[in-house]
This record gives sequence, C-alpha cells and structure tokens, in this order.
Amino acid sequence: MAILTILRAAWGYLFLIFISRIVGRRPGKQLAPFEFVLIFYLGGLTLTGMVGQEFSLTNAVTQIMTVAGVHWLITKVRASSPRIARLIDGTPLTLLEGGQWRSLSMKAMKISPADVMAMARDRDIGTVDGVRSAALERNGEISIIKKQDNKQE
Amino acid sequence: MSSTEQFTEPATDNGPLVDDAVEVGEDLDFQRAWWRFEKIAWIVLSLVLIGDAAGLFGRGWLAKAEVTSPDQTLHVGYERIERAGTPSEMTLRIGSTAVHDGRVRLFVSESLLQQLGAQRIIPQPATSDVGPNGVTYTFPATGSPAIVGIELEPSFPGVHRIELSVPGAQPIEARIAVLP
Amino acid sequence: MPTLLHAIAGYFILLLTIRLLSRRPGSQMTVFEFVLVFLMGGIIIGSTMGNDRSVTNATCSVIMVALLHRSVSHARNRWPAVGRLIDGTPLLLYQKGAWRDEVMRQMKLAPEDVLAAARTKGLTGLAEIDYAVLERNGQISILSKEKEK
Repeated sequence: MAILTILRAAWGYLFLIFISRIVGRRPGKQLAPFEFVLIFYLGGLTLTGMVGQEFSLTNAVTQIMTVAGVHWLITKVRASSPRIARLIDGTPLTLLEGGQWRSLSMKAMKISPADVMAMARDRDIGTVDGVRSAALERNGEISIIKKQDNKQE
Repeated sequence: MSSTEQFTEPATDNGPLVDDAVEVGEDLDFQRAWWRFEKIAWIVLSLVLIGDAAGLFGRGWLAKAEVTSPDQTLHVGYERIERAGTPSEMTLRIGSTAVHDGRVRLFVSESLLQQLGAQRIIPQPATSDVGPNGVTYTFPATGSPAIVGIELEPSFPGVHRIELSVPGAQPIEARIAVLP
Repeated sequence: MPTLLHAIAGYFILLLTIRLLSRRPGSQMTVFEFVLVFLMGGIIIGSTMGNDRSVTNATCSVIMVALLHRSVSHARNRWPAVGRLIDGTPLLLYQKGAWRDEVMRQMKLAPEDVLAAARTKGLTGLAEIDYAVLERNGQISILSKEKEK
C-alpha cells in the first residue's frame, strides 16, 4: 500500500497550503514569534498524520519526495498561470487611498489603522497625513508610500 | 541578434493606478469572490469539526454501536468507524445459554484478525481452532455473562464485514469502516 | 474529541507562554529563539495527537488550531481590550531628548538597543532621533528629526 504513503504526504502538504491561505497572518514585516510556534504546531500535527505508524526510512524518503514533487508542481503552475497564482497567493489590497481608509478591506483582513501606523513609523512617518497610500501586499507586509513634498526649491 | 530577442519586454504598470500615482496591482473583484469563498470554507471546516467531536469520523459517540444476536447469545459493543493505526476496543458479552461445561466458544471472523488488526484477546483463550473463515476460540468460563475484549488496531483504510458468533447459535454481522 | 480539547489547550498554553516571554528588542530572532520556538511547538504536538496518528485526526486537529487562531485574531481586532491583552501596546522609549526610564527598565532595554535600531536606519546617533517606539511585535521604530531647510 505504498500509494497510501504518497497520498497522505500529498494531502498533508496541500491541506496545509489551504489552511495557511485561509487563516491569514498578522500584518508585519516578519512573522511574530507566536506565528512561528503556530507554524511548527500545524506542521507537526500534519506530519504526525502523514507518517502515522510508518517509521521506516523508505516511507520517510517517499514522503519527502512526494512533498518536494507536489511543491515543484505547484510552483511551476503558479509561475505559468496568473489566475492560479492569484488563487494561491492572493492579490495586493489597497488600504489607504486619497486620505480615506478602505474600511471594508481592512475589516476583512483584520487590520486596524494602528497596524498601518506602526508600519508607517518604521518608514519614519509620524502621522496619517504623511502617508500617501498604504497597501497590504500578498506576503502580508503593509507597504507605505510617503507623501512627497512637491515644492522644488 | 536572435539571442536577445525575447530577453526584454516593455515595462508597463500592472493595472489601474491608485491615487493616479501608485501601482498596487489590486484585483478587488477577485478578492471579494475570495472572501465569499473563505466564509464558506470556514463554515464547512466548522461542520467538519462538529462532526469530528460527535464521532462522525470515529472516536466518538456517533461511532459507537451495540448489537445483540437475535437469540440473545451474544452482545457486541464496537466502533462502526475506526481510524487506521489507532487502537480501539471491542467488547463482547456472551449469554448464559452459550456456556457449556464451564467453557464458552466464540467464532471470530478472519476480517477482524487480519484487516482490522486484532492485537490481543482478553482473556487469553484456552484453545484456538483455526478455520477457513476465522478462528474459533475456547475460553474457560465460570458464570455469565462472560465478557471478552478484543483490542483492534487496523492498518489500512477500507470497509470490512465482520462476523461474530457462538458456534451453533445465530451470528452477529456488521460492517466496520476504517478511515485513513 | 479528546484531540480537539487537547488542541485547544495546546494553542492557549503556547499563546500564554510566548506572551510571557518578554518582547525582544531588535528585529532578528536568534538561533536559540528559533530552537525554543520549535521545541515548544513540537512538544505540544505529542499530547495533542495522542495515540491516534491517523490522517483524519491530523486534519481535524489542524482545522481546530486554525479555527482557534482565526477566532483569536477576530477577537483581537474586534475588541481592543483583547488586542492589548494578547499583543500589548506600542511603547514610547525615547521622546525628544529624554529617555522613558520606567519603560526601558521594565522591557529590559538599554539605550544601546535603540541606537542599534537607529543605525540600521542609517542614523548616526541620538542627535538625529526625535522618537523611538517599541512596537508590539518587538521592533523598535525610529522617527528621525525633521531636517530644517
């Protein structure tokens, strides 16, 4: 029943992608420490189900190769089709435009103005007025575009 | 120079500009559809969890089953839905009519021993008579109901028919599904 | 069912433990902290799955943890009090020429940590800093002095 070993590995990997896609993450340049722990927790639970009671080296190698293979497949598909890339990665979202917060987007992605301002402070901007536009990138980062002073002296 | 033919492509912005200046590349229609999908996905996942807690996928209340043979000789408590690689226990109560000469005999079908992975039978039977469809065990018994436990640990997913009986009396037939 | 309960307990135990380990100054996690994080995440897995290592159980416990995380995120966003509890609040470390000593002491930070953060921004010293803020995720943001033209 080696096919089962492969199927379990493929399912584990794909389901994990699906879950991480719909769980979402805290906005920020890096993963917060708790998110690291969570990743390892989820990954570990998945691998326990993948491995089951089959502790042989053969099974381990089979599953590693399966995960690598599925990952390669997904990467290839994602690179060649923008529509699939959109499904897997999502799309950037505008958060602030023309002095207005995009409240629906912010609520849906559970981002508060405080999160955006934290990012702005990182870019050396003190107040909302200094932000020209803010967007939530696909990788979870909030990108800030400063308002430029247009006066040329 | 055909080697540089496809090397470059004119660089254009990815879509409408935010604030007439910033190229964000947002696809709001897709995102709205995605949010709808997410809502549905979470509802489905929550239902799966409720089903799991209730035992729909084994290891819970819905999976437990009790069957008695029509002539009351045998009563079995087992789990309709099992999980691969996970131990479980099956309890059998053998009625007084089946106890003869201080001994009780029990037929266990092959499926329980092979596919469903019977690990142990408690108590240890005195004799085991191997047959074509299963094994008939003999236990010394003092009173009734005589209680026998079978520990199971199925290896692979599948659906299996099982049969348990006291030889000569009516059998209990059931189906056990093993989830991956 | 036992797995689901274990998963809930596991998630909150991890959340609490991480929260109690004080916020680290600076942006990079050291190798030791990575190890610690993996260790804690890994330990809790054994107790969550128990002796049931089936795909079914793994899938359900992953769903449970994901659902929990999402619910906590939702609560954090909806009720700022929950957000403060789980994430904390940004804290001012340096304000126009004066260090906030109490905050620095409690968060076990030294002026050097703030200066290091300033250096990564290309600023040379306190003379160029207006404010330094310890963000909720542990990073120190520096607001430089406005240059007078």
